[in-house]
Amino acid sequence: MNTILIVDDEYLIADILGFALEDEGFLVEKASNGRKALEALRDKRVDLVITDYMMPVLNGEELARAIRDELELVDLPVILMSGAQASQGRDSPGLFEAVFDKPFDMDRMIAKVRELLHT
Amino acid sequence: MVETLKRLATGIEGLDALLKGGLVAGASYIVQGPPGAGKTILANQLACGHVRDGGRVLVATLLSESHERLFKYLSTLEFFDPALVGDQIQFVSAFDTLQDEGLEAVVRLLRQEIARQQASLLIVDGLLNARARAETSLDTKKFVAELQGHAAFAGCTVLLLTSARLDEGSPEHTMVDGVIELGEQLEGSRAVRHIQLRKTRGSGALSGVHECLINEAGLQVYPRLEALYSHPSNLGSDTLVRITTGVKALDEMLDGGLAEGSVSLLMGPSGAGKSSLGLGFLAAATPEAPALHFGFYEPPARLRLKAASLGYDFAEMERQGALRLSWQPTTEGLLDQVGARLLAQVQALGARRVVIDSLGAFGRLAFDQARLNGFFRALTGELRARGVSVMLTWEMRDLFGSEITSPAPDLSSIVDNLFLMRFVELDSQLRRVLSILKVRDSHYDPALHELAIGADGITLRNAFAGASGVLSGTAVPQGDR
Repeated sequence: MNTILIVDDEYLIADILGFALEDEGFLVEKASNGRKALEALRDKRVDLVITDYMMPVLNGEELARAIRDELELVDLPVILMSGAQASQGRDSPGLFEAVFDKPFDMDRMIAKVRELLHT
Repeated sequence: MVETLKRLATGIEGLDALLKGGLVAGASYIVQGPPGAGKTILANQLACGHVRDGGRVLVATLLSESHERLFKYLSTLEFFDPALVGDQIQFVSAFDTLQDEGLEAVVRLLRQEIARQQASLLIVDGLLNARARAETSLDTKKFVAELQGHAAFAGCTVLLLTSARLDEGSPEHTMVDGVIELGEQLEGSRAVRHIQLRKTRGSGALSGVHECLINEAGLQVYPRLEALYSHPSNLGSDTLVRITTGVKALDEMLDGGLAEGSVSLLMGPSGAGKSSLGLGFLAAATPEAPALHFGFYEPPARLRLKAASLGYDFAEMERQGALRLSWQPTTEGLLDQVGARLLAQVQALGARRVVIDSLGAFGRLAFDQARLNGFFRALTGELRARGVSVMLTWEMRDLFGSEITSPAPDLSSIVDNLFLMRFVELDSQLRRVLSILKVRDSHYDPALHELAIGADGITLRNAFAGASGVLSGTAVPQGDR
């Protein structure tokens, strides 16, 4: 079973997305900022990360860079979900496998997760 | 030497006036009011304004509301620029930290984020949740004190938003430097928003309740005019300069015209000629000394037609920049909003003469009639101080009769010159009569004059010599007594 890490300081969005992914049969972990996400990634095996951009301590872009550079998880797919900063994610090619504007269509998100995890 | 405090302008003109220049930089304020009172709009408007002044903002929420939902609503307001979000304005949620780790962790998080964002303004939304998480009121005090301590150390001004109506003795109030309260009350079937500065430590402020509204431009604050102009902006001129009323015979009755910068009140029933005299007054304007008609009843097109019937070409005067016709539908606006608009238009036009038609329309905008006397006094006082010559109209209820109602008590503090206009029946004819009741510091002709309005304009003649009882409405020729 694949594990997905959802990183968002807004717990409501993390909860809703988490429930939807659990309904699809995924295991879900959550972190409320980029720093906590890195800690979780050190502790657990995660197959895919979905992150917000604007968060305290470490934002989504900083998290994605730390995943590649610090943790050297070069193949771990990272999806960015953001409102105002989605364009900044699109301006960083190679950092995110996909960029979703909030509010996003849940079915499209799940389809993208399935595509990236080949399930 | 007395120090002046550095200010952080809110960018909301009326609020800066209430705060005497803005928030005190580095100080902390509570913004309180029930849901829907406009706290979030005020805070975000301030944030966007602060960024435009070169600042950086951290918005931290202790609520569970989604930022995206907030942006959706803010995007309908003109001040909001989504491009600022994520760069100069950072939105972070501390709800999770509050819930899992408590108040101390929230303080730690925000201290880090202030430094990381290099924020000069911190907005914390959801102070009520901090209180709910606190075990004692001392914890709440400590939270507010630590937060503002860290912020002040970083030179950061703090706004704490809460939907609770915290009282003066609450731990939050005792710790902060200022309290801004927003609210709404029903006046008949109309809801009126208001704002009050309940605490402003170490800083002057315009006290009391002031009206405000929220439109597509955001929150607009209108300080009570009598508070804003409790002292007129300057002392006016000490030399007497005469200006024409626009009616030659009336100038003669006034011993050479009206004093420049004086306020005249034309009282009379509907149709007695008040508006026509006002149009004559406006017609004497020039591009160098322009005039403003601030009217509540007749739209510009009708005024131009009416002026044309008296021989005045208002359209041409408008083209030359000698005249502006400003129409205010009485169903719209707040008392102080309209008063401020009048003063702004006078300023923008550089108007030297103004006709306000009529004073009574302001009364219909006022929710608190007891305020009107002070409002009129402040308005006319400020116009007088700016050297503007003013003609006000006041419609009396009765078409005939001897009863004369005054628009306000203590009229002398509002107007310098008083003109009474009535209808009178004499020799089986209905005539208009004009009399001068008062002219400040000048001689005048007290005789009753007949006012005639025709294609050659307005004329006055001494037609009631020998008649008595003219002001009762039914004149009696002397021979009949």
